[in-house]
Formats: sequence, structure tokens, C-alpha cells
Amino acid sequence: MRKTAFITLAAACVLIGFFISAQFKESAELQMQQESLNFARPKSLKVKIESAREENDKLHEKVKHYRSELDKAAAGPELANLKQEVDTVRAFAGLTELKGPGIKVTLNDSQENLSPGDNPNLYILHDEDVLRVLNELKAAGAEALSMNEHRITALTEVRCIGPTVLINKNVRLSPPFVIKAIGDSNTLYNSLTMKGGVIDKLKFWGIEISLKKESSLAIPPYEGGMNFDYARPTQ
Amino acid sequence: MPQKYYVYISLSLVAITLGFLMAVQFRVSGDYNIGIPRENTQELSQELKQLKSNNKNLQAELSDLKIKLKQVNAGQAQAVQALKSELKKGRMAAGMVTVTGPGVEVILDNPKSSEHSQSNTLFIIRDQDLLKVINELRGAGAEALSINGERIIATSEVRYAGSFINVNTKRIVPPYQVLAVGDPQALEHALAIPGGLRDYLGNLGIKVKIKKHEELTVPAYFKENNFKYAKSM
Repeated sequence: MRKTAFITLAAACVLIGFFISAQFKESAELQMQQESLNFARPKSLKVKIESAREENDKLHEKVKHYRSELDKAAAGPELANLKQEVDTVRAFAGLTELKGPGIKVTLNDSQENLSPGDNPNLYILHDEDVLRVLNELKAAGAEALSMNEHRITALTEVRCIGPTVLINKNVRLSPPFVIKAIGDSNTLYNSLTMKGGVIDKLKFWGIEISLKKESSLAIPPYEGGMNFDYARPTQ
Repeated sequence: MPQKYYVYISLSLVAITLGFLMAVQFRVSGDYNIGIPRENTQELSQELKQLKSNNKNLQAELSDLKIKLKQVNAGQAQAVQALKSELKKGRMAAGMVTVTGPGVEVILDNPKSSEHSQSNTLFIIRDQDLLKVINELRGAGAEALSINGERIIATSEVRYAGSFINVNTKRIVPPYQVLAVGDPQALEHALAIPGGLRDYLGNLGIKVKIKKHEELTVPAYFKENNFKYAKSM
């Protein structure tokens, strides 16, 4: 009996030893895997992007705060005109929040069931489509534009990155895309809905579009700075 | 009998340890597949780069504003100066100032009509093509853009009006000259990468010339700009 117990124990110890070593080896391998390029990099990048984005938001808040501080501090009749001018120019540059009548355009990928053989690429929104809608609205006299609460400036690009769209260099948007435009709401509306216009074309592919005239819209300011690395005023 | 208990106890201990190890093992294996596919790495690092440069830009803006705030509080004369400087900056961001800097010049021209059958519209540069060129250049960090002398501002359209393309409601005619101030290397690369816009337009028969410049000048937006509908809050 004593002998059997010893044998069982010895066998169990061997087994445990085996498992422990296997476990350690596995963990070590996983560690390496995680540190390998295709695993650890995206993960750590995500973390870095998150913190950079937070810093971005904080900085933008501070910039907004200091701009209004500057405005408040610059009191006095002599400065009133100058301040007015600064405000106007900032509005044109997209640095202030604007309010006014206009339209809200909502775009979404096609929800239609594709028949086999259909090219699914045709049924999703592309950067070109979004660009065209924005361009159409600009042509119809839109004074300020935003997409998913991000201001469209003179330098705003629209790029497809997989199923999402990237604007203002680092802002990732996913559908539905809500475009807001301030201007004459009837003109803006008609520019999109005219026969053979942008909407006709997009509807053909089942892209979902809804338009709504609004009596009052708020368009947020651009979140970036306005420093230039290459351009300087011509002397 | 105590010996038998001994065996049972040791056996159950072993079983528990084994169970524990197995559980750990399973959990680790489960984690194994959760991750972000490799393809994303490049996009993500690009995104991070952009965010960092944006942060740098905001930081510069912030220190500039701090200096101006000090100036404003220092006295009337300084306050005027600070606001004037702020005004200048705003005007520049709004595209109301002529700017100079390095960049690229892109010239797009329709092929001669003799080369192709006359009325083949496929070979004519459309508003969308110009829009795409501008969009690419913006994506590559262009800081100021113009088409045939018309500065591109936030509300500029590039659109057919009849058979001509309008920019800022002004008619422009080919050859189209697009100017962009920014990093010439990056701007050129954005258009010239294999399978990029230059290839695409070239395949349609459109002549695309991209020239890097150490110095070029992009004109200001000249028109009187007034908002009829938008109000500051």
C-alpha cells in the first residue's frame, strides 16, 4: 500500500512537472508572439493613438480657452474694431462655432441584399461620393460645412480607409455620415435633389440618403491649430 | 486506513493542480487570437504621426496665444499689436493672404483633339478629376492650394457650369494649373505613387505634369467674403 502511494505521488509529480514546464514554455512563446511585429505593434499603437488623441482634445480646449481669454482681455473702444475683424476672419477660417439655417444630409451604405455576382464595392459609400456631395453644397453657396461634427476647412481631405473615412488628417469617421451645411436651405436642398444630380446617382446604388431642411444648425469649429510649416505670407 | 486517505488526499491535490493548470492554459490560448490584423499597422502609424503633428501644431498655437495674452494685458499699444498679429494669422488660415513656400505645380491638360476622336468626353478632364487632385494634395498636407489662380478656401467649389469648370464661381479653362504649398516630396508622392492619380488620369489620356518647386506663390482669395446665413455664437 505504501509503495502504491509513493508510485502514484511520483507519477503525479512528473505529470505536474511536465505541465508546469509546458505552461512556462507556452507563456514564453506567447510573450514573444506578442512582441512580434504583427501583434504587439498595432496594440501599442492603439494605446499611443488613444493618448495622443486625448492630448489633442485637451490642447484644443486650452486653445479655445485662451482665444476667448484674449478676446476678453482685449477690451476698450480702440480694440473693438480690431476684435470684430479678428472674429470675422476666424469665422472664415473655420475656427469659431457658427449657427444658421441650412440642411442636414445623412448618407449611409446600401442596405440592399446583393444578388450573387454583384460587386459590393458599388454599394458602399466612397470618398468620391462624399467629396461630390460636399462640392455640390459648396457650389450652392454653403457658408460652413461639417461632417459628423467635424468642420470642413479649406484643407480638409476625405479619404477612404477600409470601411471608414478619414478627414482632417486624423479623424476617423464611420457611416452614417451626417453632413451639415449652413446656407439658403432651399438652394442647398435643390442642388442635391435636381434630376441627374448627385443624389440620383447615389440612389441608383441603393446608398441611403436623407435630407432635412433645418431652420437652425450649429457647426463646430476646426479642432486643429492654424500654424503653417511651409507657407509664409508673401513679402 | 490512514494510508489510504493519504493517497486520496495527494491524488485530489494533483487533480486540483492539474485543473488549475489546464484552466490557465485555456485562458492563455484564448487570448492568443484576439488582436489587430497586421494590415492595420501602417495605417495606425500614419494616424499616430498625424496626431502628433497636430499636437505640435496646437502646442505652437497655444504658446502663441499665451504670449499674446500677456501682451494684451501689458498695455494698449501692445494689445493692438497682439490683436493685429492674431488677425494676420486668422487671415492666413482663411486664405485671405498670398503665401509663398515650397510645393508642387501640377499641370493637367486635355489631349489634342486630333489624337482621339473629337467628342470623346472620356478624354476630357472633368470637375471630379480636379477635385480628386486637390483632395490628394490636401491629404498629403498641402497648406495652400489654387487652381488657375483661384485660391481654394473652405467654401470653394470645383464644378461644371455648362461645359466649363467653375472655381469660386469663376470660369477656368484648360490647361489647369494646380499649385500647392507644402512638403514637395510628400505632395509629389501622393500623386505619383504607382496606381495613383497620375497613373489613373494618364490612362484616360490626360497629360499630367508634376513639378516640384523650392518656392512658389499661391494667390489670396480676393472676393469680398460675407456670411449671409451663418452667425458666430
